[in-house]
Amino acid sequence: MKGFFLGLSNGVTCVAYCTPVLIPYMLGEGKGVAQNFVTLMQFLLGRLAGYLCFAFITWLIGLSIFGGLGSKGLIIGILYIIFSCLMMVYAFFRIDVPCAARSIGYVARKIRVPLLIPVAAGLLSGIALCPPFLLAMTDAAGKGSLSYSLFFFFMFFIGTSVFFIPIPFVGALRRLQALQIVGKMAAGIVGLYYLYTGIMAVIAGAEGI
Amino acid sequence: MPKIRSIAGYMWAGAAIIIVLATFFGSGFFSRTLVAASGVKISPLYSGGEVMRSVDHGSYKALIHRPVFDALIGESKEGFVQVNWEPLAGLPPVIEEPVDYNGDGKEDFSIRIDTKTGKATLTRINPLVLSVINTVKLDNGWVVRVQLKKD
Amino acid sequence: MKTDTPQVPRGEGLGRTIILTAITAVITAVMFSQGKIPQDPKGAIALILTFLFANTLFFLIIYTGKTDRYRAVYFSTFAVMLIVSFISHMLEARGSMSLSEAKVFQCEVPFCHLVIPMTLVPIALTKTIIFPGSLIGGYASIASMFVLWIGATLALGRGFCSWSCFYGGLDDGFSRVLKRPVIKKINPKWIYLPFAVLLFVALTAAAYLSPTYCIWFCPFKAVTEFNAVTSTEILIQTIIFVSLFIGLVIVLPVLTKRRTQCAFLCPFGAMQSLTNKINVFDVRIDKEKCVKCKRCIQVCPTLSMSEESLEQGRTRITCMKCGKCIDSCPKGAISYHIKGTDIPGKRNTYRLLFLFAAFLFLAIFSSHIIQDGIVRILKLVTTGSMIS
Ligand code: SF4
Ligand code: SF4
Ligand code: SF4
Repeated sequence: MKGFFLGLSNGVTCVAYCTPVLIPYMLGEGKGVAQNFVTLMQFLLGRLAGYLCFAFITWLIGLSIFGGLGSKGLIIGILYIIFSCLMMVYAFFRIDVPCAARSIGYVARKIRVPLLIPVAAGLLSGIALCPPFLLAMTDAAGKGSLSYSLFFFFMFFIGTSVFFIPIPFVGALRRLQALQIVGKMAAGIVGLYYLYTGIMAVIAGAEGI
Repeated sequence: MPKIRSIAGYMWAGAAIIIVLATFFGSGFFSRTLVAASGVKISPLYSGGEVMRSVDHGSYKALIHRPVFDALIGESKEGFVQVNWEPLAGLPPVIEEPVDYNGDGKEDFSIRIDTKTGKATLTRINPLVLSVINTVKLDNGWVVRVQLKKD
Repeated sequence: MKTDTPQVPRGEGLGRTIILTAITAVITAVMFSQGKIPQDPKGAIALILTFLFANTLFFLIIYTGKTDRYRAVYFSTFAVMLIVSFISHMLEARGSMSLSEAKVFQCEVPFCHLVIPMTLVPIALTKTIIFPGSLIGGYASIASMFVLWIGATLALGRGFCSWSCFYGGLDDGFSRVLKRPVIKKINPKWIYLPFAVLLFVALTAAAYLSPTYCIWFCPFKAVTEFNAVTSTEILIQTIIFVSLFIGLVIVLPVLTKRRTQCAFLCPFGAMQSLTNKINVFDVRIDKEKCVKCKRCIQVCPTLSMSEESLEQGRTRITCMKCGKCIDSCPKGAISYHIKGTDIPGKRNTYRLLFLFAAFLFLAIFSSHIIQDGIVRILKLVTTGSMIS
C-alpha cells in the first residue's frame, strides 16, 4: 500500500515532469481522444516495464549494499536526505529544468519509430532518474526482498498512473504551466517530508551504532 | 442572451444574501440534516470504533471496542483495540482486565493499570497482540489502546 | 452600456447611506442578540458595543465608498477577539492552552475550517471524518463548520478569506503595520505554493487518515491550542508551527505588506480559490479606464493582480475580494462585479449587493466571538482575570 500512496503523492510530480514529453507528442500527432488513449497506454506500458526493471535492480542493490550492513537505517537516512534535497532544489529553485526523460523522449521522436516512441518514452521516463523516483527506489531497496521490490514498484506505477488518466482529454490544456509549477512545488514538499524521515532515520541509526 | 445572463447574475447575487442569513439562522438544522443525510461518523481511528462488548464489574464496567484496522481502502496490517473503563468514581486503584478482542471465546491479552501512576502492564497471550499504544485518563474513566497485528 | 457614474466613484449620499445602514442595523440587532438582552451588565455592554462597532463600520463603508480600510478593522478585530475568547474558553475548560490527550480520546477537539480540505477524500471513501472532534453540538462542532463553509462558498467564494476567516485577520492586520514595504520584490510563482500544499496535505491526510496539516504545519496553533511537547516528533512539530507563525503571520506581512500566510501557505485558501468558481461575485477591471499605473499590482496583499491579469481585465483566481485595489485605483477602474453583467455597468449596485452578503456574513459570524471577547476583557479589567 505504501507504494501506492507514494505513487499517489508523487504522481503529481511525475505528471509535472512527464507531461512535457507526452503533451507535445500528442499535440504533434494531432489525433482524437481515442488515439491519444492508445498512445497513453503505450506510454504507461513502457513506464511499467521501466519500473519493473528497476525493481529488479533495486533488489540487487538492496542485497549487495544493505545486506551486509548493520546500520541500514543510517545509510537509507542519508540517501533520503540527499535525494530529498535534490528534489527540493528542483522544485523550488530550478522551476524550468525538465526531467531527464524529456530530452530522451525528444531524441526518440527524432529517430521516428512510430509505435515504439511512446513505449520508449515511457520506459525511459520510468527509469529516468527523476528525484521522486530515486526516493521511491531508496525506500524499496531498504526492504530487500524481490517480491516486495516488484510489488512496491507496481504499486508506485499504479499510484502515479492515476494522474495520467485525464491527459488524453486535455489536449490543449490551458493552465498546463500553472499545473506544472504546482506539481513541482508539491514535489518539493514531499521532499521536505523525506528530509524529515531521513533525519529521523539517521538519528535512530546513529543511536543504534 | 446577455440579458438572461445578467438577470441570472442578479438573482444569484440576491440569493447570496439570503444564503448568508440562512447559514446562520438554520445552522443547527442544516448541521443535523447534513450529518443525517450523509451518514458520516468520526473515524474509528479517533473514536475507537463501536463498543463490541461491555463487562460489568459492579462499581464500574469495561467497554471493549471492536478491533480497528480501518484504512482508506481496505484494511491496514496493523491496528488497535480500545478498552474503556468507567465511571471514574467507581474504579479500583488497580484495574485488571482480561480481554478477548476477537470474540473467539479465548483470552487474547490481559491488561493491568495502576490508576494512581497511569502505568499499564500488558500480558500478551495471542501473538497478534503487540503493545500498549496509549493509556489516558479521561474525564470519566480510563482508556487504553493496544496495538494489534492482522492475521 | 454607458452610465453616469463619476470617474472616481464616491460613496452613497447621506440619505441612502442611512437607509442602507438601517437595514443592516435591524438584521444585526436580531442576529447579535438572538432576541434577548443579556441580564449580566457586562454582556449587555458587549452586545451594544459590538452592535455599534459593526454598524458604524458599515455606515463608513457605504458613505465613503472605501471598502478595504474599514473591512480590515473589523476583520482584524475579529481575529484578535477570537484569540482572547478561544484561549479563555480553553483555560476555563481544561486549565491550559495545550491540548490534552483526554480531549482527543473523547473527541472534543474544536474543529476549524482549515481541516476541511483534508477530510474530503476520506469522507468520500470511508464516510468518516478524520478528526477527533464532535459531529454535532459542543464547541466548534464539525457539522456546523461544514455548514458555514458551504454557506460561505456559495455566498462569498474566496471572499471568505477577507470577510470571514478568523485567522486571516492576523495576517491582514500585520500587513498594515508599516507605511511602506521593506521587501518589495517577491517572486509571483509563490502564489502556487498553497495549491501544492493543498495537494500534499489532501493526499497525505487520505493516506494516513490523519489531519496532517493540523499536526505538522498549521501556524495558528500558536494562538489557539497545541500538543504538550512530550517527544522529539512533537518538538519538531512545535518548532515548525511556531516558526511558520512568526515568519508568515507576523514578520513577513510586516516587511512585505502582503498577507504572506494566506497567499503562500494556506491550503484552505487554495481550495476556496478553486470553489470560488461557483460564486457570483468577482473583481473586474474596466480596461477602458485603466491607465496601467500598476498601483493595484503594488497594493494587492495576495499578488492577485499582475500585468497579465490587467490585460484580461480580471484578477487571478487567488483574489480574496478585499477591495484594497478598488480603493487605491486612481482612475476608479476596478470594481466589484456580478458575473454575467456588464462592465462597468451598475458598479454601485454590484458593490452594494456584494457588501450586503459579505458584511452580514462577517458581522453575524463574528458577533458572539467579539461579544465574548469584550466580556473577557471587561472581566480582566474589573476582576483581574479573564476566566470565571
Ligand atoms: S487563506 Fe487561509 S488563513 Fe488566510 S483567510 Fe483564507 S482560510 Fe483564512
Ligand atoms: S490601479 Fe487602476 S489604473 Fe492603475 S493599473 Fe490598476 S486598474 Fe489600471
Ligand atoms: S485583487 Fe484586489 S480585491 Fe482581490 S485580493 Fe487583490 S487587492 Fe484584494
